[in-house]
Amino acid sequence: MGATSHDTYIHRESVVHRWSPRLKLVSLAVLMFAFATVRQLTLVPWMLGVAAGLYLLSELPLSFLRQRLSYPGLFILSLVVLLPLTVGDTVLGQWGWLTLRQEGLMATLLIVGRFLSILTLGFILLGTTPFLSLLRAMRSLGLPTILADMTLLSYRYLFEIAAMLATMQQAMRLRGFGHKRQGWLRVNRQTMQQLAMLAGNLLIRSYEQSDRVYRAMRLRGYGYGAKSVEGQSAVTQPCILSWGLTGIVLAAAIGLVIAEGILRQ
Amino acid sequence: MHIPDGILSAQVCAAGYAVTGLATWYSLRQINRRPDPTAEIPKASLLTAAFFVASSIYIPVPPASVHLILNGLLGVVLGYFAFPAILIGLFFQALVIGHGGLTTLGVNAAMMGIPALLAYHMFQTRHTVGQLLKEPARTGVFAFLGGALGLGIAALIFLALIILNIPAQLDAGAEQTAVLALSIGHVPLAIIEGVFTAMLVLFLRRAKPELLEG
Repeated sequence: MGATSHDTYIHRESVVHRWSPRLKLVSLAVLMFAFATVRQLTLVPWMLGVAAGLYLLSELPLSFLRQRLSYPGLFILSLVVLLPLTVGDTVLGQWGWLTLRQEGLMATLLIVGRFLSILTLGFILLGTTPFLSLLRAMRSLGLPTILADMTLLSYRYLFEIAAMLATMQQAMRLRGFGHKRQGWLRVNRQTMQQLAMLAGNLLIRSYEQSDRVYRAMRLRGYGYGAKSVEGQSAVTQPCILSWGLTGIVLAAAIGLVIAEGILRQ
Repeated sequence: MHIPDGILSAQVCAAGYAVTGLATWYSLRQINRRPDPTAEIPKASLLTAAFFVASSIYIPVPPASVHLILNGLLGVVLGYFAFPAILIGLFFQALVIGHGGLTTLGVNAAMMGIPALLAYHMFQTRHTVGQLLKEPARTGVFAFLGGALGLGIAALIFLALIILNIPAQLDAGAEQTAVLALSIGHVPLAIIEGVFTAMLVLFLRRAKPELLEG
């Protein structure tokens, strides 16, 4: 859970940072879906270009994207390895039992292209918008109060609970947990029992903490018909720059969908 | 067991959001029927965070280790709050560690959340169907079924989505073999998840029984 210990927001003064969170959320979501519609390999460079252009505009460091791309890559990696070797009839090259096939290779390039561009957009959104602004934008777009409050509270305690688990796991290791060797493909009942109790303790501690949090919230007026904290904050009016960026991004999204339709015919 | 961005078509992603929207609406409707829905929010929120954190616990199965999903357990403990909790948990995973995806959030939430609701109903049937068994065996058996069902159904939905959406120049025979092999491969995982859920629920029953009342 080490990755949960830092926020994804990176402070900069770029135009993407100044883009109204509500318009940014809607525009980037539309563009992500437009990217997901792409089936033609010729559109992949365009898609990557749009994503790279927006990333440059956001002034986020490249290391931010590199760190985050490495984690979800595992599933994609298995497709990258398997598809070119297994799918299709047109053989591009053969080395012993390994056969490189054209159709599989093309499908892989398409999937990886979409993956990289959509994920880049996701990280632009998260890297340039503080979590609370993002939640406020969702709330103003109609996110139900229960969901907004739950998201806010869960996020507030996420890091604390992660730290609690880390401490508990360290205490277990210091008492000798995990030092015993186990046979291959065998699940040790005692180990399972100890891990179940670890998770159970984590739940009980969180539950007890939730009781204290609820009492404190009630004392401050929560649940007496008052609006959610998120709902009270005024949403700033978007400026010309925000509308301009929204227009450009939506035009790019519509352009991609039209191009996809034409190329498919 | 998350589907990342870029694999599914826009139509499937949109359909995922539609199903998730419907399931969230249904869950919130059930929650709002309670006498004081806000009283449950802190409990559900902190447990959402705890589940998100607890799912990072690995069970060592040498030479590798098994990552827990815990969606069945979430259903068992949180009831109708399980669906919003999974939606929020997956949103955090996409947000904080880039696991899953924003376009596939709807699909992933439906894939994990609907089995969690089924697990909740399965666990609740212990009051009616499980009368033949004595406590604590009754709680243990139904918690096992809830945990195994939660992961089992999620795995089946995952496999169906992947196989239907991966470019299908594979021949039907190879596809059937792959589905069968992957389905059989998930059976031990469902059993591990079920046993873990049963152990944890039995522990909670002894230490904090009010957590299982939801």
